Amino acid sequence: MTAQTFIPTVVFAVEVTTTVVGQLLLKRAMEGSRTIGFANFRTLRLFFGGVLSLTISFFLTIGLLEHFDLSFFYPIQGSTVVIITLTAAFFLREKLSPQLIIGTLLISTGIVLVSLS
Amino acid sequence: MDPVRQRLANPWILLVFEVIFVTASETLLKVGASRTELVAGWEWTGLLALRSIWIWCAIGLVILSFLCWVYVLKYIPLSIAFPLSNVVHVLVPLSCWIFLGEHISPRRWCGIGVVILGLAVVAKPVATIEQKL
Repeated sequence: MTAQTFIPTVVFAVEVTTTVVGQLLLKRAMEGSRTIGFANFRTLRLFFGGVLSLTISFFLTIGLLEHFDLSFFYPIQGSTVVIITLTAAFFLREKLSPQLIIGTLLISTGIVLVSLS
Repeated sequence: MDPVRQRLANPWILLVFEVIFVTASETLLKVGASRTELVAGWEWTGLLALRSIWIWCAIGLVILSFLCWVYVLKYIPLSIAFPLSNVVHVLVPLSCWIFLGEHISPRRWCGIGVVILGLAVVAKPVATIEQKL
C-alpha cells in the first residue's frame, strides 16, 4: 500500500469507527433520557461522548470529500449500516428479525454496487 | 397537543426530515469542499473548508438533522432507524446527479435499485414497531 492510498484508508477507517461509536453512545444516551432523565450525569456523559465522536467523523468526512466525488464516497461510507445494525444487536441487545437482516444485507449489497461503479 | 405538533412529534415524520436535511447538507458539503483550496499538511482535516459559506449552511442543516435524529433514537431502535436512514444513499447520488452534474453509471443505478429493495424489506417490520409506539 502506497502513502497515497494509506492515508485515505486510515482516515476512512477512523471516520467509520467514530460514526459507529457515536451512534451507539447517542442511542444509549437517549434510552437513558427516557428512564433516568436527560439531565443525569451518566446520560449527559454518553450524549456528549456521542456528539464528540460524530463531530470527529464529520470533519474527517469533509476531509475525504475534498478528495473524492460525493456520489463515490458517500455510498462507501454506507458500509456502516451493517456494522451499526450488528453492534446495536450486540451492545444494545436489540432484536434482529430475519426480515431486518435480509433488508440490511440488501441495502449494503446495493451500496457496494453503487460504490463499485 | 394540536394536530400539527402531534404530527411533528411523530418519530417517523422526524426521520423523514432527518433524511432530507442530511441529503441537502451532504450536497452543500461537496459544493463547499470542492471550492476549497488545498494546503499541504491540512488537506485531510477538512478544517480549511470552514472558510466556505456553503460549509456553514451545511453545518446548520447537520445540526437540524442531528436534533431530528436524537429524537428518532429516543423512540425507534437503532437497528431499525439506521438502515431506514440509508435512503440517503439513494437521495444523495440523485441530488449529485441533478444539482452537481455528477455521472451515475448503469451499475450505480442498479445499486440504487437494490438499496430501495432493501429499504422496502426493512420497512415491513417497521409497521409492527409503529403499532407499539
